[in-house]
Amino acid sequence: MHDLAFAVNGEQRSLQVEPRELLIDVLRNQLGLTGTKRSCDVQVCGACTVLVDGQPTSACSTLAVEADGCAVQTIEGLAKDGRMDRIQQAFLDHGALQCGFCTPGFVMAVHALLTQHEKPDDATIRHYLHGNICRCTGYVKIIEAVKSLV
Amino acid sequence: MTQPAAQIRRDSAEKVTGEARFVTDIALPGMLHARLLRSTMPHARITGIDAAAALDMPGVVAVLTGADFAGLKHEWGLFLRDRPLIAIDRVRYVGEPVAVVVAEDEYSAEEALDAIVVDYDPLPHVTDAEAALAPDAPLVHETMETLKDFYFKGEAKPLPGTNIFQNYRYECGDVDAAFAAADHVFEDAYDFPMVFHYAMEPHCVVAEYSVREGFTLHSCAQSPSAVQKVLHAIFGTPLSKIRVIVPYVGGGFGGKASVKLDPLAAGIAWKLQRPVRLCLSVAESMLTCRRLNARVHLRSAVAKDGTLLAKAVRVVMNGGAYADTGPAVAIKAANRAIGPYRIPNLRLEAQAVYTNTVPGAAFRSIGGPQAVWATESQMDTIAEALELDPLELRRRNLLRRGETVRPDLRSIDVEMAEALGEVSKALPHRPGEARGFAVAASDPGIMPIGSAMVRLGIDGSITVMANSVEIGQGVRAVLAKLAAEALNQPIAAVDVAETDTLTAPFDWGTGASRSTVIMGCAVQEAAADAGRKLLAMAATTYEVPESECRLVEGGVLVRNQHHTFRDLFHRYFGIDSGDVSGIGSITPQYRNGAFLQAPLFWETAAAGCSISVDEDTGEILVKDYVSAADVGRVINRLAAEGQDEGAAMQGLGHSLFEELLYEDGQPVNASMIDYHVPLIDESPAHFETILIENGDGPGPGGARGMGEGAILPVAPAIANALAAGHGVRIKHLPLTPEKVWRSLRAAKAGL
Repeated sequence: MHDLAFAVNGEQRSLQVEPRELLIDVLRNQLGLTGTKRSCDVQVCGACTVLVDGQPTSACSTLAVEADGCAVQTIEGLAKDGRMDRIQQAFLDHGALQCGFCTPGFVMAVHALLTQHEKPDDATIRHYLHGNICRCTGYVKIIEAVKSLV
Repeated sequence: MTQPAAQIRRDSAEKVTGEARFVTDIALPGMLHARLLRSTMPHARITGIDAAAALDMPGVVAVLTGADFAGLKHEWGLFLRDRPLIAIDRVRYVGEPVAVVVAEDEYSAEEALDAIVVDYDPLPHVTDAEAALAPDAPLVHETMETLKDFYFKGEAKPLPGTNIFQNYRYECGDVDAAFAAADHVFEDAYDFPMVFHYAMEPHCVVAEYSVREGFTLHSCAQSPSAVQKVLHAIFGTPLSKIRVIVPYVGGGFGGKASVKLDPLAAGIAWKLQRPVRLCLSVAESMLTCRRLNARVHLRSAVAKDGTLLAKAVRVVMNGGAYADTGPAVAIKAANRAIGPYRIPNLRLEAQAVYTNTVPGAAFRSIGGPQAVWATESQMDTIAEALELDPLELRRRNLLRRGETVRPDLRSIDVEMAEALGEVSKALPHRPGEARGFAVAASDPGIMPIGSAMVRLGIDGSITVMANSVEIGQGVRAVLAKLAAEALNQPIAAVDVAETDTLTAPFDWGTGASRSTVIMGCAVQEAAADAGRKLLAMAATTYEVPESECRLVEGGVLVRNQHHTFRDLFHRYFGIDSGDVSGIGSITPQYRNGAFLQAPLFWETAAAGCSISVDEDTGEILVKDYVSAADVGRVINRLAAEGQDEGAAMQGLGHSLFEELLYEDGQPVNASMIDYHVPLIDESPAHFETILIENGDGPGPGGARGMGEGAILPVAPAIANALAAGHGVRIKHLPLTPEKVWRSLRAAKAGL
């Protein structure tokens, strides 16, 4: 077992993890943060996207020990005092989700997008979110939601 | 654009914050984890399974194989009883479950899979449907036991001694005479690929069993009542002791319809009498079900002026190793190949064939995309040969409201020219881009059987209990709105309970675009029933005729005096407690038999696209896409548009790049690394959805079901644009860059 000390949604956590344990399993099983979703397992769908030191990261393909000393942000850390953040609100207002399984990953990826690009154009949005798959919406309303924030 | 508050879906608010609970998120005390060892052979006898080493590994609780279920009547199915709970002595496709490892945690279960040794004695295999039809083809099943009226009405017509598990024929008019007399006869064959649903959430079931309590399943099933039925058939447990709870489902598209993983999960729990979680990976879901690939042979007899005189359809579908609902898919493919056209003479033939591949299954508009791909491609071929505008050829043949697609089916309930007209008006015409169009008519809304309950508490809060599954389409918000409207209460007062067969009455299932109409009507009826009871209580309590009472927000208005529900209940029951329940049931006899004839409504679609083609690479880029659906009435606009957009985008996948490939009996791209679904940068720059509302559907307020139609016209619209703008007609989907490039080269070389 390895010691893992990292900040999750601003809170310092210390855990024991197996070397093979994936970040997604530690978040979901040990910390109960089930908002992060597992889908493709191979870093192509983005459903498990979390921010590790601000960078969008596939938690399904990251060893938990790699996050040692890092700040990890998950979907559960966005809403403050029961109020959704502006990205969550925009997804809701624009109908940018249906089944909702890809949504936490999308919201985290958009978070990173808007941190790195203040005013992304259409091409930048499409390029940046290339690593997030949605099977329900056809992406139309997701793009509209993101554009509403620019 | 901001969504009106009344349209905001409560499920969306939970999903966007990560609070929403899916089956994959459920952890029960003492829960074990199961992983499956899957066949590596396309077709083989199992001669031995050695699990001793796996059983010795840390954390492993049990290894189960077919032998552990020998005492059960374990073969199950929906149309044919052809499928074992887990492979017994034979495997029929690569990926078939052969053994289960149950362990204290998922990692231990996964690790132990490698320690199991299975000995196989290979049998000859067949993966292609046409090859499976050959007289000397290996038989995937030696016997075929059909189940009549089990899940769908009717039964499959297998041909014993062959691989054909469904052999459907229909004929009307004098087809041969019409062909003999026609000015033109067009004959073509079109291929549609094997494609995977890829719901983001893989299949997952958490199952519990005890002799006293029976089964409780937390499942991602789209048809919980079908799960109950199959478990009842296998285990003999009374239906009342088979409880299926369905939380939010992370997409299904038909891949979680009928019954999939539940019998095996239930079997593990039954054997071990401990809660067990069986959660597949997406790669395993790819080995669980997929759309039936098909070859569609079309012959059309056409008059000089483009009038369609006769059509002969022959569909051959690859049904995979187990029939599932393939027999219904085949029939629907034949029906949906007719098109929304006036054709007096029809010959429909459809065969579904066993092969050693992943079992075929329902997928958004069953049989529809396969059929419409063929029919709408051929319409443009006919137009070109007759030197007619493709839109004009369609207009000359499109059905008017009240005419029939097939004389034994309900007459069409929309004006088809309206949707096509709207699309052609809305689609931009840009230089350098080619345009293509397609239309479709499908016969969904099956099985008018479903009930719902509505309960109003003393505080005015309302609970709707209905077994429709919230799979992303927004059904809970629709039902909440309908209940609120029927009881004249604010939508915020209404909760729709989680799908649970213990608390909500029977519903056939969520699929075939049926919930808004069938469950919508059931909820309206249930709310009306509760409303009648409330007014009767008010009349008694306040000693006035019922006609002088009406429901208003938070209570009843009696002769202009507002009484809260609390006041009414308190006086009526004598204490400050109580509630009122209503039940509504939809049956084939509903509205004097108005729901009896199939289809309940027609789900139609029209679409147009403009594309550009990189002639150096063969890559097609869809620039503009316009989709129209005649939905009767929109209940939640954003949700309805979202369904339409999502269906069209899903269709873009099978049009341009999706195909599960087999070589030597092995699936060669069954992982999300190799299998490509549409990404955000492949969505058209301009996408427009037109929802036509004439209030003429059978559902609430004149609504029709929707959500499937938009997947139908995508592929032929793109292929028609390619043919119109670049002179190549491709009859095999997907339209990959390589295929397009080779066709363009061949055309240039004059081949």
